[in-house]
Amino acid sequence: MRTLTLWLMVGSAVMLAQHFQEGDGKKNPAIGNIAAIAAGEKSFNEGCAVCHGQGGMGGRGPNLANGRVMWHTLTEESTYKRIKDGVPSGGMPPTPGSEEKLWQLTAYVVALRAPASEAPQTGDAELGKTIFWGKGGCNECHSVLGKGGKIGPDLSDAGGSRSTAVIRMAIEDPGANGSKGFEKARVLLKNGQALEGVLKNRNNYSLQLLDARGELHLLLMTAVKEMTVSKNSAMPANYKSRLSAKEIDALVAYLAKQTARPMVAGN
Amino acid sequence: MHKTGLAVWMLAACAFAQVKPEDILKSPNADWLTYAGDYRGTRHSPLKQITTANVSSLVPKWVYHVPKASKLEVSPLVHQGVMYITAPNEVRALDARTGRLIWEWKDGRATRSDVNRGAGLLGDSVYVATSDCFLTALNRKTGALLWQKQYADTKKGVFCSSAPFAVKDRVLVGTAGGDTGMRGFVAAMNATTGEEMWKFYTVPAKGEKGSETWGEYVEYGGAATWLSGTYDPELNTLYWTTGNPWPDFYDGDRKGDNLYSCSVVALDVDTGKLKWYFQFTPGDTHDWDGQSWPVLVDREVKGKMRKILLHPNRNGFYYVIDRVTGEFLHATKLNDLVDWASGIDAKGRPIKIPGKDPTPAGNRVCPGVRGGANWMAPTYNPATGMLYVITMEQCDIYTSSAKKPEPMAGFSGGGAGPKPRDAGTFYLRALDAATGKRMWEYPMPGPGVAWSGTVSTAGGVVFVGDDDGQLLALDAKSGKHLWHFQMGEYLFASPITYAVDGKQYVAIASATAVFSFGLFEPVPSVDLVKGAQ
Repeated sequence: MRTLTLWLMVGSAVMLAQHFQEGDGKKNPAIGNIAAIAAGEKSFNEGCAVCHGQGGMGGRGPNLANGRVMWHTLTEESTYKRIKDGVPSGGMPPTPGSEEKLWQLTAYVVALRAPASEAPQTGDAELGKTIFWGKGGCNECHSVLGKGGKIGPDLSDAGGSRSTAVIRMAIEDPGANGSKGFEKARVLLKNGQALEGVLKNRNNYSLQLLDARGELHLLLMTAVKEMTVSKNSAMPANYKSRLSAKEIDALVAYLAKQTARPMVAGN
Repeated sequence: MHKTGLAVWMLAACAFAQVKPEDILKSPNADWLTYAGDYRGTRHSPLKQITTANVSSLVPKWVYHVPKASKLEVSPLVHQGVMYITAPNEVRALDARTGRLIWEWKDGRATRSDVNRGAGLLGDSVYVATSDCFLTALNRKTGALLWQKQYADTKKGVFCSSAPFAVKDRVLVGTAGGDTGMRGFVAAMNATTGEEMWKFYTVPAKGEKGSETWGEYVEYGGAATWLSGTYDPELNTLYWTTGNPWPDFYDGDRKGDNLYSCSVVALDVDTGKLKWYFQFTPGDTHDWDGQSWPVLVDREVKGKMRKILLHPNRNGFYYVIDRVTGEFLHATKLNDLVDWASGIDAKGRPIKIPGKDPTPAGNRVCPGVRGGANWMAPTYNPATGMLYVITMEQCDIYTSSAKKPEPMAGFSGGGAGPKPRDAGTFYLRALDAATGKRMWEYPMPGPGVAWSGTVSTAGGVVFVGDDDGQLLALDAKSGKHLWHFQMGEYLFASPITYAVDGKQYVAIASATAVFSFGLFEPVPSVDLVKGAQ
């Protein structure tokens, strides 16, 4: 996984700044500020990265770049407070430093979770589109606005719901986030029928399976004779070798453009 | 997925057919396909496995806790064993037999988070409105997004909470938010593309017919369309109730009837053209929306078979209207505590008692601001001929403010609330639907916080959420208590009933979870399945 680089943060800061100006108008000036984010990253990698990993990608401490993206900024104050006071119950110590430094760190952590659609992309989105719908075969399993396959996660809002880092990780290391809801399975029923698909959910008593045609099968385990569940993600793990770095950048850029709905001015 | 991987997959036959308009016409049966279960708004199911004789052995079959929920108002939908539930800006599909999650969809970008009352179903899509008024179509089997279209501007005082209503090839939507100055409407959106097909404003524009019944703030007049409407396919007509005029409690700047607030409007479903309207409370000053949806029934009234529309109103009266012509047939008192009008005249206008408007010092008036009835779901059982409706016996102190109206700034022209010892009591009442005569009532004492509703079944049972967090089963004929279950928290949603594999269930959302009940059966031992661990 690539570390989010300083230039990327700097480049994205203009758009982030625009986004974060919305709301109650009382944002700390560091939020969305190019220089503050850059300073925050430097401080982060000197201190916080010991636990949270370079670029916030996780280590002994939680991954800060691999969660739900933050379209709304209600959590900035709480993020600041966590950095300042630490999380004693989780073993995170308070962070020393000036208020300015702590807000710079906050600005960086907030930027890590920016939606990919709001961050500049280096790849060629048009090339990425041809890969998604052609060479890459992504559309065999994934859908965008009702077109494409049905058994993989829907990517209609890939750019609006995921950070750039998360999109890239899903392509390069598809098992990294687990595959809950998308485990590939083969199920043999007691009546002799065999089903294959992805498990939307399961326990010892029932399972909910989606087959490749996009049809649901809701089964009680009393009807199941045996089943095989793949330990690996149903998504091929070889895109890093099948595609060039340029092609992966392009695919990331195309997915980053997928946003379910336009932001309404002023909303 | 690899192409080669796909090629070897064995595909199973599947029974999950599309939801067709004719299926909705037949609903409810095993499925529950609209907010009110059918197009007529009766919330009555032909299911009869659960009866007055065996309902005492009803037990919870499963509970699904909705993450972070605090006040669910959803009425679930069920289609072929899949239940669809909503929370603000969220939709989930559950296995209706086990309560297990199949998929979930969340709109992390929504700019508001208000209550949500449910979804709509048509074809392979499930529809929901986000709080900021994006009508959203999802693939109902996978939860994949198909499209989103914003149909109302939240900057204009509007938000969206009602369940989309699928009719023919379109999805009907309404608006909430009529208490701070906005302009209500009903809109038809193409079910395939989300494009707007027509829009009917419930408040006329300046200069349009009806605008003479308002003052200068006509275009902020409110008349929100808070709930889903009902539909008569033979008459090709939609029926939709409308909310209060704005400012709610002061009419100094809107003297007149304020059309089409506090009304029911009959609209051509193809064009949105107004066929007729009937106004329950002209020039309302008590926030008495006409929100409970019009229940469509064919009954003999005054010796003549008619297509009628039933409506228990927030103003404390129960109305019967000819739904072909809009002719007012009659109204009766729904509540004991009604002191603002002595009755309804032959044309359907209230005979007002002077001195019952809000005042700066406060004026005690009955019913209270929550109304004699409200949006809690009523139900009509054709076997008993009764309408079952939750009513509230209570009065409030209404105050007014003559401050110059300022739209979309939290101003409602006054307010209302009870004296501390005047919290009131909820009753489930059974009315002879044709005459309005009270056949029985069941008091539901509690703190006065509930907003639950009803469902009735061919098993002769009425299920209702009470004011104390309990789901009740009552005998539809007599009102006799048959069963109750303490849900552990207050109820703001209405029960439904459905069946899977020949077994009937009753489901209801509590504040934070969805419960499904069925008749007691011993739980069979389940062998561990090889390869499943």
